[in-house]
Amino acid sequence: MKLQHALGGLENLGPVNLEPKVFVQDWEKRIFGIHTVMMAESAHLSKALPRYPIDTLPTAFKENWTWASLRTGAEGMQPFEYFKYRYYEKWLMGISQFFVDKGYITADELASETARFRQAPEAALPDQPNTAIKDQIVDYLLRGDSGLRPLPHTPRFALGQAVTVADPPAADHTRLPGYLRHKQGTVAEVYAGAFEYFVSTGPDGLEGPMPVYRIAFDASDIWGASFSEPNTVIYADLFEVYLQPHAS
Amino acid sequence: MSELFQYDNEREAVSAAKVRALEALLIKKGVIGSDSVDAVLQHFEDVAGPFNGARIVARAWVDPAYKERLIADTPKAIAELDVAQGMDGAEGEHMAAVANGPGVHNLVICTLCSCYPWPVLGLPPYWYKDPVFRARGVREPRAVLREFGVPVAAATEVKVWDSSAQIRWFVVPERPAGTDGMSEAELAALVTPEAMMGVALVAAPAAPAH
Repeated sequence: MKLQHALGGLENLGPVNLEPKVFVQDWEKRIFGIHTVMMAESAHLSKALPRYPIDTLPTAFKENWTWASLRTGAEGMQPFEYFKYRYYEKWLMGISQFFVDKGYITADELASETARFRQAPEAALPDQPNTAIKDQIVDYLLRGDSGLRPLPHTPRFALGQAVTVADPPAADHTRLPGYLRHKQGTVAEVYAGAFEYFVSTGPDGLEGPMPVYRIAFDASDIWGASFSEPNTVIYADLFEVYLQPHAS
Repeated sequence: MSELFQYDNEREAVSAAKVRALEALLIKKGVIGSDSVDAVLQHFEDVAGPFNGARIVARAWVDPAYKERLIADTPKAIAELDVAQGMDGAEGEHMAAVANGPGVHNLVICTLCSCYPWPVLGLPPYWYKDPVFRARGVREPRAVLREFGVPVAAATEVKVWDSSAQIRWFVVPERPAGTDGMSEAELAALVTPEAMMGVALVAAPAAPAH
């Protein structure tokens, strides 16, 4: 199993952090922005809904970049490191490495530029605005990238049906919270239509459009009656491949 | 700021230099424009932010029929309002609202990462992304809520919404007592992102001094 798949329910972590700031350091804004520009420029958007004119966008970026890319990186981290680094520190590490791995920049370039800005933190960025990219960013943020698709088959489960959550292999990326594996719940809603995730998750099971269900779990069915708080229901939206009929 | 962020200055200075180096190189190589990152950040100043969610909640408070429509079909009810366009944009393609009320308290979480309804709430606060909240929120939500200063009675049902597929959830908190004469705009000013994720209650403003 991977820690990053199974954070829910982990104990002995101490008090919650109440920090309400979105960015706890000013630099974090820039890596959030870079990531979101990459999402707006992602090659897959030419086939997304809506279909964006990515093929003609004047950018050197020719990769697919979605939340799945970011999460695959985070889920592949050594678990101690995952805890050690703050949210946007992990983004900065993962995104920098991605550009190096894909050959857009070299590790040496990044190191020498970093040293330069370390010496002169206020040194100017190159002045090369790009209106077409800017327009695409705004358009992407306003119109999004919906995964809603026509149903490929009749949903296998019905409202009120008891289901058991599957236990697929821990792949590079999943949308199944680990603490729900093997647990019994009840279908609380069968969402209209089907949803397609950004990528196939291989042995984890996400592949093409599939029905999505809201599953209700009694907390005591997850943690055990003597270990859970009373009067508590946990809802999770789960792709069909993560569910099995409950064998009574 | 909690002690978690008391890193030595070097750590932040290096990250700050590295992100600037990365942005400079990406501009130079034509991957992004020098106005690209600012365009993203501007969107979260002007278009997408908790000011939208607060207006939606305030409308639900003054118009019970609107509140019913909001819970039944969230995107359609949001489209009724004169809010910015793009309310079904990035990370808001499929949103759903749930309402707190007598006997029920809702808490929204993303145990896998940080799914959050961008158009109506903007970007998630640090606490929402912190591993401790994500680990404990599903295991002991009442204990977590107490740490946020929100005691929930034993008789009140707690509903935890773990966002992991396509739906982005937000909470319509309860309207505080003592706000009867307030306008919708005044009410909206009371609503925080924390209240719309379920880790805070909305407080009435302190009575003005006479």
